Amino acid sequence: MIETLKDHFLNPRNVGEADEPRFTGRAGSFVCGAAARLSVQLDESHNVTEARFKAAGCEVLIASLSILTERVRGKTTTDAALMGQHPETLAVELSVEKDKVHCVQLACDALVAAICEYSDVARNEWIGEEALICTCFFVSEQTIEREIRDKGLTTVSEVTRACNAGGGCGSCQPLIVELLEASWD
Amino acid sequence: MIYLDNNATTAVAPEVYEAMQPYLSKYFGNPSSPHALGRHMKHAVEDARIEVASLIGAADPKEIVFTSCGSESDNWAIRGVLATRPDKKHVVTTLVEHEAVRNVCHQLEKEGYDVTWLGVDGNGELDLEELRNALRADTALVSIMLANNETGVLFPMREIGHIVRERSGAVFHVDGVQAVGKVPIELKSCNVDLFALSGHKLHAPQGVGALYVRSGVELPSFILGGKQEEGRRAGTLAVPNIVGLGAACSLARIDGDHTLIESLRNQLEDGILEGISNAHLNGIADRTKRLPNTSSISFEHVDGQSILAHLDDKGICVSTGSACHSSSHTASPTLKAMNVPYSMAQGSIRFSVGRYNTEEEIETTLDVLPKIISKLVEMSPTAK
Repeated sequence: MIETLKDHFLNPRNVGEADEPRFTGRAGSFVCGAAARLSVQLDESHNVTEARFKAAGCEVLIASLSILTERVRGKTTTDAALMGQHPETLAVELSVEKDKVHCVQLACDALVAAICEYSDVARNEWIGEEALICTCFFVSEQTIEREIRDKGLTTVSEVTRACNAGGGCGSCQPLIVELLEASWD
Repeated sequence: MIYLDNNATTAVAPEVYEAMQPYLSKYFGNPSSPHALGRHMKHAVEDARIEVASLIGAADPKEIVFTSCGSESDNWAIRGVLATRPDKKHVVTTLVEHEAVRNVCHQLEKEGYDVTWLGVDGNGELDLEELRNALRADTALVSIMLANNETGVLFPMREIGHIVRERSGAVFHVDGVQAVGKVPIELKSCNVDLFALSGHKLHAPQGVGALYVRSGVELPSFILGGKQEEGRRAGTLAVPNIVGLGAACSLARIDGDHTLIESLRNQLEDGILEGISNAHLNGIADRTKRLPNTSSISFEHVDGQSILAHLDDKGICVSTGSACHSSSHTASPTLKAMNVPYSMAQGSIRFSVGRYNTEEEIETTLDVLPKIISKLVEMSPTAK
């Protein structure tokens, strides 16, 4: 076990619950029985001011959560979501064995889920003229519709490549699917 | 280091080490050789055979065959019996066997055998009525362990043997690996046909085991080759290890008082159950029905691996019933069979005391453990 991992497991940082207003993500595995909960608090410009976690699981899960909660502090929700979308980067950095990569993944899933919760709330509370779909990259419904129409896009990943929408926490991907389906009518 | 993992393996006893040493230096002959050196080796092996036989109460040392480990003994016993009875396709075993039996039986199912898996109750005990009902005319083999490796719960081998003999023509095999050296065993007065044991569980080195084969029980060779062990198991005998096993059996017989081990285990178990509110014992509370050295304890809402890793950091060695690998399910089949709730099975720790533990070590453990558990409970997303 590398020192960073051991240190974060034995002395986990940021254990607990972020202060209100907070957004919480959960992740669990029936395979290994681990459970994780990660909450973030955001400031007015959507930067993470605090991230905390609770978990029952192995060393890798706990260390990963400890490291992630440290790293997302001060980041935008977009950067936090992107960090969560790349468990393999953290797994390599921590020299995690192949059969334990799913524990890093679980920690990242909890982070992404927390950002998703924020995005869902932000989308519903949005009062701009154009409906907001992707809260991570701030992409409106009209923009996505235009991209789909003009470029003849047919999949979510094509939309993401064209305008970033759906490339952060991923919570708007079902909405993008709906827009794609509507464009076929 | 505080070693509380004696069910995993044990330290080689100084007495055993001393007995083995000449066989790792000046006595290097092959016991099959007819010259003086070979004859000396042969004598050493036969002396060891007598020691093993007397520890487990065999009627005749000839009933002991040396093997490489407990798993080989179990595999040989099961496969050997079935080979002699090709017309019988039914096997009875339990859900809580060691992998060396469990996985062979799973394989048998794939090969077309009908396997009856006897369950256990919440205390980890068998229902003997279920055993009675499971026995059939085509039952070739009954394979039931003596002591469970995880919980230490003892199965009534004598009674089971009686039932098997009375109600069927099946051969009765016992995986005795975890029990030998910890509880008195007298095979000659039990209806046991085959009995597996392993050296490293009782202070002999790793890499040696034995199978007791009751006189008259037919068992074809598993490993073919030379005529060693009267043609029953080919392969040059691992004389140093066999001498070690003999010395370990002698030590267990002569110095077989488990009062100290048991009192240390009790001190540990009582201390944990009284001092830690989310701690629950796995297995029957009646200590006369468990091995004297084992405590399996679940800590609700926390993960066994993280407890193990924290104890490891403090130099304390234990084992856990849960392990997280992407490829395998974790909850231990034994705890699952006992219907231990998921939230508890995940946090199971096995403490197994041994001959070299001290009261001071138990006190240190009792000092360190509650702090670890309360830290992990505080971190748990499911604990209130």
